[in-house]
Amino acid sequence: MVKVVVIGGGWAGCAAALTAKKAGADVVLLEKTDMLLGCGLVGGIMRNNGRYTAAEEIKYLGGHELIEITDMCARHTNVDFPGHKHANLYDITKVEPAIRNMLFSKGIKIKFISRAADVLMESNTKIKGIVLADDSVECGDVFIETTGSTGPMGNCLRYGNGCSMCILRCPSFGPRISISYRAGIDDILGMRSDEVYGAFSGSCKLNKDSLSDEIREKLDKDGVVVLPVPEEDVNMEKLKLKVCQQYALPEYAKNVVLLDTGHAKLMTPFYPLDKLRKIPGLERARFEDPYSGGKANSIRYLSIAPRNNSMKVKGLDNLLCAGEKSGLFTGHTEAMVTGCLAGHNSVRLSLGMPLLELPRNLASGDLIAYENECIETKEGLKNRYTFAGGKYFERMKSLGLYTTDTNIIKEKIERDNLIGIYDEKLV
Amino acid sequence: MASPRLECIDIGSDYCPCYLAELNECIVCSQLQGKKFCDCNWKGVCVFQEFVWAKRKAKAKRDTMVSNIIDKQKINENLFILTLSVPNKMARDLNEPGSYVFLRNEFSPSFFDTPMSIMYADEINGFVKVAIQINGPKTSLIDLSEKRICIRGPYWNGLFGHKYIKGLKNSKCLVVLRGIAQAPGVIVINKLYRNNNKITVIIDKGKTGQFFISQYLDQLNLNIITTDILSAEGQEILKNAIADNDLKLIYSGGSDEQHLNIFNYMDLYNNEAYLAASNNNTICCGEGICGSCEVQIDGQKVRSCKVQLDVEKAIERRILYG
Repeated sequence: MVKVVVIGGGWAGCAAALTAKKAGADVVLLEKTDMLLGCGLVGGIMRNNGRYTAAEEIKYLGGHELIEITDMCARHTNVDFPGHKHANLYDITKVEPAIRNMLFSKGIKIKFISRAADVLMESNTKIKGIVLADDSVECGDVFIETTGSTGPMGNCLRYGNGCSMCILRCPSFGPRISISYRAGIDDILGMRSDEVYGAFSGSCKLNKDSLSDEIREKLDKDGVVVLPVPEEDVNMEKLKLKVCQQYALPEYAKNVVLLDTGHAKLMTPFYPLDKLRKIPGLERARFEDPYSGGKANSIRYLSIAPRNNSMKVKGLDNLLCAGEKSGLFTGHTEAMVTGCLAGHNSVRLSLGMPLLELPRNLASGDLIAYENECIETKEGLKNRYTFAGGKYFERMKSLGLYTTDTNIIKEKIERDNLIGIYDEKLV
Repeated sequence: MASPRLECIDIGSDYCPCYLAELNECIVCSQLQGKKFCDCNWKGVCVFQEFVWAKRKAKAKRDTMVSNIIDKQKINENLFILTLSVPNKMARDLNEPGSYVFLRNEFSPSFFDTPMSIMYADEINGFVKVAIQINGPKTSLIDLSEKRICIRGPYWNGLFGHKYIKGLKNSKCLVVLRGIAQAPGVIVINKLYRNNNKITVIIDKGKTGQFFISQYLDQLNLNIITTDILSAEGQEILKNAIADNDLKLIYSGGSDEQHLNIFNYMDLYNNEAYLAASNNNTICCGEGICGSCEVQIDGQKVRSCKVQLDVEKAIERRILYG
């Protein structure tokens, strides 16, 4: 029996647990808090721009449960908002229980409030087990690190505006650690455009009940509301701060862009409350996430592991990675793409089979490989790699990888001989 | 390269962050070790955040104060018990297993500071008791103190295995105390008792020649055995007590040789139980600064006045390498 231990229950970890289980492994998923999905609990944006293509690829490759659930939990479908087309916005209160139940039903063991504190090594290059905060050890054959790259508190303080009390809840559940670093492999760090390490998380959430009836009703109906920022408060500089280049368009500095995901998602890292309340309709606004979204947001990209295009961490025998741990990615879809691949490959790795690399004629394969090439350079470390916008979406379009035609995508994957590859039981 | 995880006894207390944080030598927080990223052994507090809130200085400092000697009780030629008046808060802080203070004669310079375990702390009435065995210049001078004495505290790393003592509930445990180490044993026994544990106590009068803590244990329902641990009979008693498989914790109050003696029996007869042991290292400042307490564990220099050590490794090192 192959035992796979996934550290981190965010989107990437859930995806990895799913495909590792499908491949036949005994899977344990360790999550430090009491809920799955991490930043996905305050996200919601799917299928916008190139993510549509990637979502379809995930489905045909065999990670369909993830897309089925996010589609099913959508509050709004086929929404356009500045710079983005045909997005789905999922309901953040429905998705986590649905994913949790799905994973349980597959027989995946999820351990909540189980924070990784250290690594137990079998040799210099092989991990024996993960030491948890309560001093117990979770042993395994292969490990997948999906601990993300966000925070913890000390990092948010040094590289941001301090702890913003975000959904990751470090003060309550403790900080993430870097498994790869504890195992002896140094982390790679992303940079902001002004050559400071890390980047702010790109959005925050307002409590919908604290908005005016008019705005709330429009959000419920259309899914998106765009409100102009008073002239004197327009700040173009803050566009450089964040993770999500796909929202670093001038529209996002001149306007407050709200999306309905159950809360009102505000597409900017943070917004001083007194300034926010100057906007008509937002006079009583308050933050739902992060609790201190008037002052700060969490800092990302401080902990990336060097890896190959099969998601295996370089320098260690039995560690793979996915999600933001595996590169300057952003987004649930990107986490699912990398997570599914890592989960599947974890079983291949333990069986001594050659690892799968997704071909570059798929957006998924190209993203993974392209990001790995780019971060060899300093310029590359300042970019973000997402199907949803920025330079990578431009690349997708120029390479002909972007399409919303599901049949084209299906045929491509058939030609690549990868239909349902993640559904294949290997052991 | 990731450094091994160390636990600091002061973390999260009123005195964290300490001088070490100011000097980029924090035991726990990587951001305060000169590294620029987080990699800590989280104990519920972000030390770096506390440091920044405290304007990048140690949050509070443990200064020397002058305490009144309320009572001095001579037990024999070489042993006496002092009752010292302290602020109620300090008494409350000192009511912990492993707590100690530095004492010195009112007119002595600071290097006469002598670490003394707290035997008893009363936070309502504001006093603490210490038992002092005279065996050198510092303790002789303390003996000469009449009305007042210099005291610095509170400090807490007087024993290793603090979390095992605090965490044990509704279980069976063994406390072995020899000589002057009877004194810190009182608070250990009280803490274990309050958590509803069933305690067997082995008392060896040692060089003090007296079971001088008996009055502090009278109120409690304990199984007390007095013996000479170093005798054949005492070793038999010790061995049998340890071999009880229901035992969850053993506290050894005594020399490093005693710790090793108990540890060896545990190796043979009971390797499920945890071992907590008195910290016998030379302690002069209690702040991790002076270097007196420095020991080497696995090639790493460790400040034993603040770090909660793995008992097994600490005693092996001391006995085998001096």
